[in-house]
Formats: sequence, C-alpha cells, structure tokens
Amino acid sequence: MQSPGDLLTLKNVKKHFPITKGVLVRRRIGTVKAVDGVSLGISQGQTYGLVGESGCGKTTTGKLILLVEKPNEGEILFQGVDILHSSREQLRQYRASVSVVFQDPWSSFNPRVRVQSIIAEPLMTHKRLTNMELKAEVKKLLEEVGLHPSQAEFYPHEFSGGQRQRIAIARAIALRPKLIVLDEPVSALDVSIRAQVMNLLKVIQKEYGIAYLLIAHNLATVRYMSHRVGVMYLGELVEEADSHELFTDPLHPYTKALISASLPARPDVRREELVISGEIPSPLNLPSGCAFHPRCPLAFDRCSEVVPKLKDVRLGRKVACHLY
Amino acid sequence: MAHKVVLEVKDLRTYFFPRSGVVKAVDGVSFDLVEGETLGVVGESASGKSVTALSILRLVPHPAGRIVGGEILLEGEDLLKKSSAEMTKIRGKKICMIQQDPMTSLNPVLSIGDQTTEAMRTEDKMEPESARQRALELLERVGISAPEARMGNYPHQMSGGMRQRVVGAIAISRRPKVLIADEPTTSLDATIQLQYLRLLKEIQAETGVSIIFITHDFGIVARMCDRVAVMYAGRIVEIADVRRLFSEPAHPYTVALLRSVPDLEQEVEFLPAIEGQPPRPENLPIGCSFEPRCPLAFDRCRVEYPPEFTVAPGHRARCWMLSGKD
Repeated sequence: MQSPGDLLTLKNVKKHFPITKGVLVRRRIGTVKAVDGVSLGISQGQTYGLVGESGCGKTTTGKLILLVEKPNEGEILFQGVDILHSSREQLRQYRASVSVVFQDPWSSFNPRVRVQSIIAEPLMTHKRLTNMELKAEVKKLLEEVGLHPSQAEFYPHEFSGGQRQRIAIARAIALRPKLIVLDEPVSALDVSIRAQVMNLLKVIQKEYGIAYLLIAHNLATVRYMSHRVGVMYLGELVEEADSHELFTDPLHPYTKALISASLPARPDVRREELVISGEIPSPLNLPSGCAFHPRCPLAFDRCSEVVPKLKDVRLGRKVACHLY
Repeated sequence: MAHKVVLEVKDLRTYFFPRSGVVKAVDGVSFDLVEGETLGVVGESASGKSVTALSILRLVPHPAGRIVGGEILLEGEDLLKKSSAEMTKIRGKKICMIQQDPMTSLNPVLSIGDQTTEAMRTEDKMEPESARQRALELLERVGISAPEARMGNYPHQMSGGMRQRVVGAIAISRRPKVLIADEPTTSLDATIQLQYLRLLKEIQAETGVSIIFITHDFGIVARMCDRVAVMYAGRIVEIADVRRLFSEPAHPYTVALLRSVPDLEQEVEFLPAIEGQPPRPENLPIGCSFEPRCPLAFDRCRVEYPPEFTVAPGHRARCWMLSGKD
C-alpha cells in the first residue's frame, strides 16, 4: 500500500467566480466561492468519492483537476510535480495521464463522428500511430469495455445509454491514464445498466491500477465504488474518511443528514431519519461561521461565528466541525 | 380498512405510430388503486410507466400516439368515453399530476399567486380574496415560509425544491381523488427529496388521496409505497404488496433488478448485474420481452408471452416459471 494521496494532491485550492452586472461598465457585485480551500489526496489505483448536493463544488473540483478551470489559489500536485507551474512537456504528460467520463452519454460525443474516431482521438493527439495501429488499438479497447470491434464503424446514436458510457470509458482508458475523473458516470443510466457499468469500471481499475475521482450524489454508488470519501458542502470539504468508516460512523452532522436522507433500498430497514430543515443557502450569500450552521440541528453559538477548520480527529479521519 | 377502489385500469393499450411501424408503449396494463393507498410504478426508461400516467389523464401526444384499447374507470366511470371538455374538468379536479421538472409545469411569466389561485378562481368561481387566503394556507401547508412574500415571486426566483412545493400546493388545492407523481423528486437534492416525500405522506394522511408514484428508485418505493407494479417493455410483469415484492420477488427481472442495486448498508465486491440491454419498444421479441436477458429462460419463453399467474393473494407475475404453481 502506498502512502495516501500519493498520486494527486490538492492543497488549499480555491476557485471563485465573479458575478458581474452591467453591459458596458461591468461591475463586480459578488463572488461565488465554488471551491473554497479544498485539500485532498488521491492514491494510486484507488477511488476517491466526492459527494455532496448540487452547488457544493464537487464538479468544479473535478474541472480544476482536469485543468478546465484554473484555480485562483492553491496547488495541484501530480506525483509531486506542481501542475500549475510546470513546463509544457510536463503539462502534456499530465493531460495524457488524466482523463474524464461525463454524466450524460448523449451530449458527450459529436453525433457526426464515428466511434472509431471518438476513441482514436486521444491516441492521435498523444501518440504517433499508423492508421492500421490505430484501428487495431480501437478494436482492442472496444473489446475491453464489452463492445464488439465491428461497432467501431457506428455512430453514437446507434447505441443505448449504457453502451455509450462504455464508449466513453474506452476513450478515457485509451492512453492508459493514471487517473480518471468520473463525473456522475451512472446517474443518467437505467437502473439495470448501472451495475454493469460500475462493475466494468471496477474491473478496469483492478487491471490497470487506474485511480478514480468519483463525483456522485448517490451515496450507495459512492460506497460501492470508493476507497476513500470526501463530503463537500458549499465549496468546502466538511468530512473525509475511508469509505467503510464514513458510512458506518459518520461524524459531521451534514454527513449524518445526507446518509439518513438516502433512502434504504428495502422496506424493512428503517433508518433514523434526521430531517434537516431549510434549503442550501445561496453560494452568493454564505452564512457566517460554519456554512452548515443555519440547517444544523446541533449548532451552538460558536458555529455562527467561527469557520471550523478541517482537522484530523483520528488516524485517517478529518472533519470540519466545532463538535470535534 | 375499507378497500374502496378509486381507479381501475383494465387492459390499457397505448400505441405510437411512427412511420416505421407500431410502438406498443403500453400493451395490456391492468391494475386498480384503492382509496388512500400509494401504488409505486417502477421500470426503466421506455418501460411505459410515464405513458401509462399520460393515458390515465388522456394526455397522450396526438396524433403520434393513441389509446387503442382498454378501460380506465375513475369511480366507475370510463374516462376513455369522456369528451375532451369533460376530461379538462376531471384533470383540474379529480386527478392531478406532479411532474419531474417543476420548471416545465409552472408558467414562467405568471406569479406564484396567479398560478396557485388560477384554478380556484376559474373552476371553483371563488372570489379573488378568498382564493388568495386559501392559496396562502396551502403554501404554508407545503412548507413555504413567508407565503405572503412568495405570492409575488416568479418561478425562476425560487429553488427547485420550493417550485416543486408550489406544484404540490396547486395539486392539493383541487382536493383530487388521485395524484399521479411522475418522478417528482428526481431533480431535487437528497435532503430536499426527503422533506418532499414526507410532505406527500402527510398530505395523503390528511386528505386520503390515492397516489400513483412513478419512479425508478427502489429506495423511494420502499419508503413511500403500499403496493408496487414493476413494468418492463410496456407491461406490468409483477405486482405485489411492497414488503412481499422485496422479500419474495417472483419475476426474474424483479429479482435481478433488486440484486443489482447497491445498498448503503452493505459492502460488496461485485454486484450481480443484469446483462444485456432492455429491448427497443419498436422491436420486441416474440415471446417474453425479458427472455433475452433472463438467466432462467427456457423454450416456451422464446415463443409465447406469459400470462399473469397468481403467486399469492394480491401478488401476480408474468413468468412461465410460475405456470405449474398456479
């Protein structure tokens, strides 16, 4: 076992989006702190699950890792190399080592391009292969994800959602990356297809030792897939632990609420339902102190005044809450 | 408990007619709905669950689709024999629907006040002031704080959870007999979803409305429903009491589906997945629609569609495996 977070480390990463008003003279009227000081580490060959509700910053965190968005502050270290201040060659290597699978298999492909070219695209960018080699490589990839090699000549619309997600996975593993960002990889799929795709991802992980950053809102999916889990709320990481511990012994009141809000899959299991009142506050106008305190059943005076820091409470367990 | 049947659907067939042929979206669906109960309808996309709902409301897109057969009896009266003017009254009064996306069911250019009072003003001929009072009560009932201030808001000024509450308030303002909820919480976050599900249950306890809850989430089924109908390729393949369905599923599809869903309570290395894809509705197998994916299929399954077999009182399933046990 490697040291935790040895593949990719985020250190105090921030991404703030300005909100402007006016057409000719743009005035800045506020800031959305989409990601506000997140630190986490992803280990080789393991899955890091990032959970939270909409607007919590989990997708923006994924985009920062993919360099789609540039952080305002903080560091991204990949195998010890600072990616935000690295040479062109290092950046090229990084882009070849990190790939992505998106949520919606209907909008993530160009409908006018054949599967052959979709999967071959990263290979053409990063490797010098002859046409024959490309074709052979694509066929091999299709077989790996459980599709027939002859389907390389088809267009995306000829596939079902589950099959399209398999194509997306084939494209993502084409360069044998070290990390794949999976942004809600199964939530758009039918229930009977989800297990197929999740199992395929697990098999591929075992075979090639690829690490995943799994961004998802369904806790059962995250538990099934992840080794380590981070819980986000309004741009901050509020709790981080190994999957088993987080789900059997959650510490942060928000984690507890999330777990109790996810309905058990059987009628004879009745979890204690901790209903938290109220809505997620607007990220434009964050509450003072702990962002969760207006909805927290255990909040006390200090929570509205001081922002709790994410700290180690036990070996391998981090939580940002004044109760600990 | 009095088992007064409110809604009875008998052998409903709704087909679509694209240029290439016939798509049997709903093909022989029968069920009944008892007063005050919640019937879950589960199935994958294109299994016919939403088309069943639209058929009950007589809102199947026309001329692309048509109800070609069957009966839909609401308190004994066949809705398929009603004129479209009569249906409009029934839709605004006896059967209401909550759809998945509240942004598409609310009018973006009308205020919340206008939309919550509209039906009371036009259908019930209520005075504007009393309609307003009633709307305020209802908005408060569905958990909207400061309803006075919200009356002047437009849908885009509210969050998804709040909008869905407004839709709920409009629906219960009609005191319907039947409420069809088509994935009402799919677009909501988990903590908001739980609040909304609880609200629906409370309203049901107060008003005795019967709910048809369309979903693909077994967690919601387990939490909300009294009985469950499992749909596959346009037909109900199994219907049973919720506890029985989870403890003793009879159809191989239900069995496989329940096994393939990850459970938060358990850690497993690999989930048993259902292989293959659901059939395309325009190209169904001759025999049982699940046969190509079924681990237990035998010769008869390939050639003949199974009828409904009774497994236990109130528990029926369409599978040839059950033919000897009837």
